[in-house]
Amino acid sequence: MGGACSRKRNHRDDEDNFPRGISRRYSKSGSSKWLATSFSRPAIDIQHDKGQCPSLMDLCVRKIREDINKYSTFSMLPRDISQQIINELVYSGCLTDVSFEAFRDCALQDLYLGEYPNVNDTWMDVISSQGSSLLSLDLSGSDVTDSGLIYLKDCTNLQALNFNDCDEISDQGLEHISGLSNLTNLSFRRNGAITSHGMSAFANLFGLIKLDLERCPGIHGGLVHLQGLTKLESLNIKWCNSIADDDMKPLSGLTNLKSIQIACSKVTDSGITYMKGLHNLSLLNLEGCLVTAACLDSLSALDALLYLNLSRCHLTDEGCEKFSRFGNLKVLNLGFNDITDACLVHLRGGLTNLESLNLDSCRIGDDGLVNLTGLKHLKCLELSDTEVGSNGLRHLSGLVKLESINLSFTVVTDSGLRKLSGLSSLKSLNLDARQITDTGLAALTSLTGLTHLDLFGARITDSGTNYLRSFKNLRSLEICGGGLTDAGVKNIKDLSSLTLLNLSQNCNLTDKTLELISGLTGLVSLNVSNSRITHSGLRHLKLLKNLKSLTLEACKVTANDIRKLQLTDLPNLVSFRPE
Amino acid sequence: MKKEDTVKLISAEGFEFVVHKDAAMVSQTIRNMLTSPGGFAETEHGEVTFPEISTTILEKICKYFYWNLQFASGKQTEFHIEPELTLELMMAANYLHT
Repeated sequence: MGGACSRKRNHRDDEDNFPRGISRRYSKSGSSKWLATSFSRPAIDIQHDKGQCPSLMDLCVRKIREDINKYSTFSMLPRDISQQIINELVYSGCLTDVSFEAFRDCALQDLYLGEYPNVNDTWMDVISSQGSSLLSLDLSGSDVTDSGLIYLKDCTNLQALNFNDCDEISDQGLEHISGLSNLTNLSFRRNGAITSHGMSAFANLFGLIKLDLERCPGIHGGLVHLQGLTKLESLNIKWCNSIADDDMKPLSGLTNLKSIQIACSKVTDSGITYMKGLHNLSLLNLEGCLVTAACLDSLSALDALLYLNLSRCHLTDEGCEKFSRFGNLKVLNLGFNDITDACLVHLRGGLTNLESLNLDSCRIGDDGLVNLTGLKHLKCLELSDTEVGSNGLRHLSGLVKLESINLSFTVVTDSGLRKLSGLSSLKSLNLDARQITDTGLAALTSLTGLTHLDLFGARITDSGTNYLRSFKNLRSLEICGGGLTDAGVKNIKDLSSLTLLNLSQNCNLTDKTLELISGLTGLVSLNVSNSRITHSGLRHLKLLKNLKSLTLEACKVTANDIRKLQLTDLPNLVSFRPE
Repeated sequence: MKKEDTVKLISAEGFEFVVHKDAAMVSQTIRNMLTSPGGFAETEHGEVTFPEISTTILEKICKYFYWNLQFASGKQTEFHIEPELTLELMMAANYLHT
């Protein structure tokens, strides 16, 4: 019986590419940061939806999982079926070295064992038995060693290999993959043992499209082995701090490169000159490199460049006039540079396609913002920790496509905020600044599309919460200025889209607050630290079945109290404090 | 059951199961056969033969069809699968997109 050989291979992308799930940008605690990333086995989309009728296929797969010890082999099954069985076993954490043996010779195409516990060299023989069928293999976080990699020689059709966080793999192991000429994607993040010597194994992987060696500190001098890999489109060597100017030279002929990330390396302006000919380059991340505005001469030759990250570099106003040549740029990050309003003058005419501009912690003020008025496509503007105040905001009121503005730790006051009231596309707004009060919030009620609102340090009181009723789409809200009581929470309880709520530091909140928010069943993260919450209030959280993170530091609640609640009612809770 | 509301599913051994069309159409494969405008022979005669599905398995599949309809109408019970049938049933389910 045939059966459609449907093969779902979700290409898992960089964990740091773009935010997914809950926005990680808007929480001080960092509590939501990991929520977005840490539980995913994203390659495998198995759904155990309770409401939906399980297919007979699902039921069979689950039955096999329950009886897994009764099966010695699945090799007689069509491979798309054995693929579903192993996916289920990996997803549910039921796969062991013993049950893995049943998948010998199953002609599997994908083995996503990344971060799966106890995977080591003893698994390699069964992996190897998939032979030329195996197309992608993820062993990240495993204990597989150099000698384990010998087994991959038979898997000649391998296209994607992931060995992130594999501490036991070194130069010697790389030799064994040097003949896998069908490889297109290869990843060895956070490997301290790989050196330039071992990288000679990459020299004949002519099909390679994507190479990821992030945080491999010893690879200086190794990029010379990539010179012939003309199909290479993406190279990530972020935080490889030995990388220097001479490492850039071998890249100069790789004209198919679309993305290069060399953040936090020793590369200077002179290294950047080797990139002049990379006319397909659209993304360049130079964050934290030793470059100055002089590198803009080389970069301005790159017509395809859309994303340029120059944050934490050594930019000053000197030479910034060259920015006017970057007319195609969509995303520009200039955060944490010693630039002033004088630099912004040069953004004025040329960068009309800009959609995102980051000026975090730059020395810019109200007068500088006048130069942004022509950036009509701007969606995202980061002005945190700048000298921008209320007078500057009037220059933003015509940027109607703005979706996100960060004004935290600026000197913007209530009176300036009405300048933002016409920005109807706004989805996220960060006003984490002490001088912001209820009056400022009152001026923003027209922004009904807001999904993220950060008022962390703002002095919002109960009467100010009345204005929150306008923001029915809010998914994250932080109000931690100390001025809230239970009465104010009444205006929060109907914000039914909330997934993240941070009301910490409001020391007058009581168990009544938990009762009020007990119907916010979408909540994934809740923080009410430094309040008068007690253990007897916890019962109000029973319906919050989606809760993954609960923080109640400095309350009358013990770790044991929360653990009990976790056991009886909150199965998804994975992080809580006190712990 | 009116004849036009039913369909006859025939196992490898020639055993015939007469089931409601609604139930049979839980299987995407059977649904396609019965509703495709191309004029499958199956559409005209209201019969589908499965030369690779044994009687035992086909019976189990018919039970699943009705279990699925019950589930959809809110009666959510457990569907029992005998361990010795699981693999064969799974291959059939795969073929039937069920």
